[in-house]
Amino acid sequence: MIVAAWICLVAPLAAALLITLLGTSISRRTAAYIATTSVLGSFVAALVVLAKLWGQSPDARSHSSTAWEWLTAGSFHVGLRILVDPLSVFMMLIVTGVGFLIVAYSIGYMDGEDEERRYFAYMALFVFSMLLLVQAGNFVILLAGWGLVGLSSYLLIGFWHERPAAVAAAKKAFIMNAVGDATMALAFFLLIQHHNTLNFPPALHVGPGHGWLVNLVALGLLGGAVAKSAQIPLQTWLPDAMEGPTPVSALIHAATMVTAGVYLIVRCHSIFEQAPRVEELAAGLGAGTLVVAGLIALVQTDIKRVIAYSTMSQIGYMFLGAGLGAYANAMFHLMTHAFFKALLFMAAGVVIHAIADEQDIRKLAGAGRLFPVTRIAFLIGSLALIGIPPFAGFFSKDPIIASDLAHGWYGDVLFAAALTGAFLTGLYTWRLFLIVFTGEPSAFVREHVHEHKREGPFWMMWPVVVLAVLSVIGGWIQFAPLWDPVSTWLDAVAPALVTPSDTQEAVASVLAVLLGLAGIGIAYLIYGSHRLAVPRIGWAQNLLEHKFYFDEAYDFAFYRPTVALAKGLGRWIEGPIIGGSIKELATGVREAGFGTGRLQTGLVRTYAFAIAASLAVITIVFVAVR
Amino acid sequence: MHGPDVAWYLAVAAFLFATGTLGVLLRRSPLIVLLSLEIMLNGGNLALIAFARLHGDASGQIFALAVMAVAAAEVVVGLGLIVAIAQKRIDLDVDKLSFLRG
Repeated sequence: MIVAAWICLVAPLAAALLITLLGTSISRRTAAYIATTSVLGSFVAALVVLAKLWGQSPDARSHSSTAWEWLTAGSFHVGLRILVDPLSVFMMLIVTGVGFLIVAYSIGYMDGEDEERRYFAYMALFVFSMLLLVQAGNFVILLAGWGLVGLSSYLLIGFWHERPAAVAAAKKAFIMNAVGDATMALAFFLLIQHHNTLNFPPALHVGPGHGWLVNLVALGLLGGAVAKSAQIPLQTWLPDAMEGPTPVSALIHAATMVTAGVYLIVRCHSIFEQAPRVEELAAGLGAGTLVVAGLIALVQTDIKRVIAYSTMSQIGYMFLGAGLGAYANAMFHLMTHAFFKALLFMAAGVVIHAIADEQDIRKLAGAGRLFPVTRIAFLIGSLALIGIPPFAGFFSKDPIIASDLAHGWYGDVLFAAALTGAFLTGLYTWRLFLIVFTGEPSAFVREHVHEHKREGPFWMMWPVVVLAVLSVIGGWIQFAPLWDPVSTWLDAVAPALVTPSDTQEAVASVLAVLLGLAGIGIAYLIYGSHRLAVPRIGWAQNLLEHKFYFDEAYDFAFYRPTVALAKGLGRWIEGPIIGGSIKELATGVREAGFGTGRLQTGLVRTYAFAIAASLAVITIVFVAVR
Repeated sequence: MHGPDVAWYLAVAAFLFATGTLGVLLRRSPLIVLLSLEIMLNGGNLALIAFARLHGDASGQIFALAVMAVAAAEVVVGLGLIVAIAQKRIDLDVDKLSFLRG
C-alpha cells in the first residue's frame, strides 16, 4: 500500500522529468499523453491506497514511510517521509482525479500552442507538488511541497511569458505566497524549538500550557493558509492569476493550490484547537472573504475573474467550516467544489477557446446558443455553485452554514455572513450565466463562430461531460444527517468539534437555498427579463470595481515606501558614500600604479645606475655610522 | 711580508671596479657593458685575494675562484643573449632594448 502511495507521488514528477529530458525528440502530443497518463496512473495508485485503507480498522489507517534521512542537525532529523491516512488519501484522490481531467482537457485546449511540451511538464510538476504537500509526513516536506506549488503556479500563470500582464500576475502570485511561506517557516522554527521534531503526528500535538507558543504557531500556519488559499488579506493574487491558460486556472482553483490552505488547517487541527482565538480568526477571515469576494464578483466583466471570485468565496466557506471545527464538512465542500469549479472553468474555456480567446462577458454575450452542451454543463456547474438541490454544492455547503448556528453569538454573525454569501453567489453566478449563455449572440460572437461548427475538440468535451456528471451526483456521497461516509472516513484524523442539530441543518438548508433562489430571481429580473435596472450607486460601484482598494492599499503601504526607501538609499548612501568611496579608491590605486610604472624605464643603464648609487649610499652610511 | 702595502692593491682594485662601473653606466653597446662587468668582477677578485694574503687565509682565494667560474657562466649567457639579439637584426644598443618600459 505504501508502494502505491509512493507511485502516486512520483509518477507526475517522473513525467515532468521525462518530458524535460526528451525535449524536442518527442512530438507535442506525446508530451501531453505522457503527462496525462502519469496523472491517471497517480489516480489509480490513489484508488489502490483507498481500497487498502478501507479494509483496515478505522484506528489503524495511519501509515508512514521514510525513503531516506534528508537532513540531520544534531538530534534533529528530517526524513523524506510520507504519511498515508484517510485525510491524505482523500486529498490525493481529489488532486489526481480532478487533475487528470484537467490535464486531459489541456490536450484539446493547448493544441497547436507554442511550447506545449513545457506546459505539460509544468502541469505534471504542479500535480506532483500538490501531492508532495498532501502526502508530506513532516512539516519540512510539507513546506517543500508548499513552495513547489507556489513555484509551479508561478511558472504556469506566467506561461504566456511574452504578455507583460501574465508575467506581472505570476510575480504577484509568487510574492503573495512568499509572505505566507515565511510565516509558516517561522511557525515551524517555533515547533522545532519546542518539539525537536517536525514529524507527523507528534509535531501536531502541542501540549496544554504553552499559550503564547501555540497561538504564534497557529497564527503562522494561518498566514500560510491564507496566502495559499487567497483569503483576505492576501487574496489579491488570485484574480490576476486569470492571466494564465484556462486549464491552469481550473487546476489552481479546483485540484491544487487554493485548497492547500484548507488542508493545512484540517491537518493541523489539534494545534488550532489549542488556539481557539486563532481558529475563530480563521473562520472570521473566511466569512469576510466570502462576502467581499461575492460583492466584487457582481461587477466583474471578465468571465474567468467572476469564477475566480466565486472560488475565493467558496474557499471562504471552507475556512469558515474548518475554523469552526467542522473539518469533514470543509473537506467535503472542497471535494464538490473541485468538481463544479473545474467544470465552470472548463466550460468557460470551451467558449473562450472557440471565440478568439476573448474573456469579456460583454463581447461573449449570447454565446450559449452556439454551445448547447457547454451551456448545459455551465448550468449544472452554476446550480451546484449556488447550492440548489440536487446538485453537489447543496450537500456540502449547507452543513457548513448549519455549523455556524452551533457556535454561539460569534457563530450567528458568521451565519449571517454565510447566508449573505449564498445570496450573492446566486446573484453573480446567474448574472454570468444569463449574460453569456442566454439571449441573442452578440456581433462579436457571430463574427467568430459559425452555427454548425463543432463546440470543441473531443479532448475538451469529454472531461467537461464527466465533471458535469460528477457535479450532479458527487454531492450524494454524503447527505447529512442521513448518511455520512465522508465524515466517518475523516473523523479518525480530524473529529468534528461541532455537530449541528437536525433542526439547525434544516433551517440553514432552507434559508441558504431560498436566498440562493432569491439571488437567481433578482439576477433574472435584471439580466434576463430586464424588468429591473442595475442600481447605480457611484461610490459602491467604485469600491467594488477597485476590489475594495486592496491593491491600492498595498501599493500605498508597501510598494511605494519600499521604492521611496530604495531610491533614497540609492541617492544618498549608495551613490555618494559607497559608490564614491570605491571610485576614489580605484582612482588612487590606478594613479599609484601609473606612478610606479614610470620607474620602469626599460633602460638597463638606469637600473645599473640605481644599483650603483644605492650601493654607494649604503657604503657611505655604513662608514659614517662606524 | 714582502711587496707593496695592501692599500695599493686595494687602490688598484677600486680603480678597476670604478672603471668597470663607469663602463656599465656610460657605454651603450651590450658587448662593452659585459666587458665592463668583467672588469668590475676582477676588481672585486683582486680585493678578495689581497685580503686573503693579508690574513693568510685561503678562503678568500677560493672565493675568487668561485667568482671566476660564475663570471664565465655569466659571459656565456650574456654572449648568447647578444647573439640572439643580433640574429633578430635589432641594433646592439642597450638604450634601444627598452621593451620592458612601464
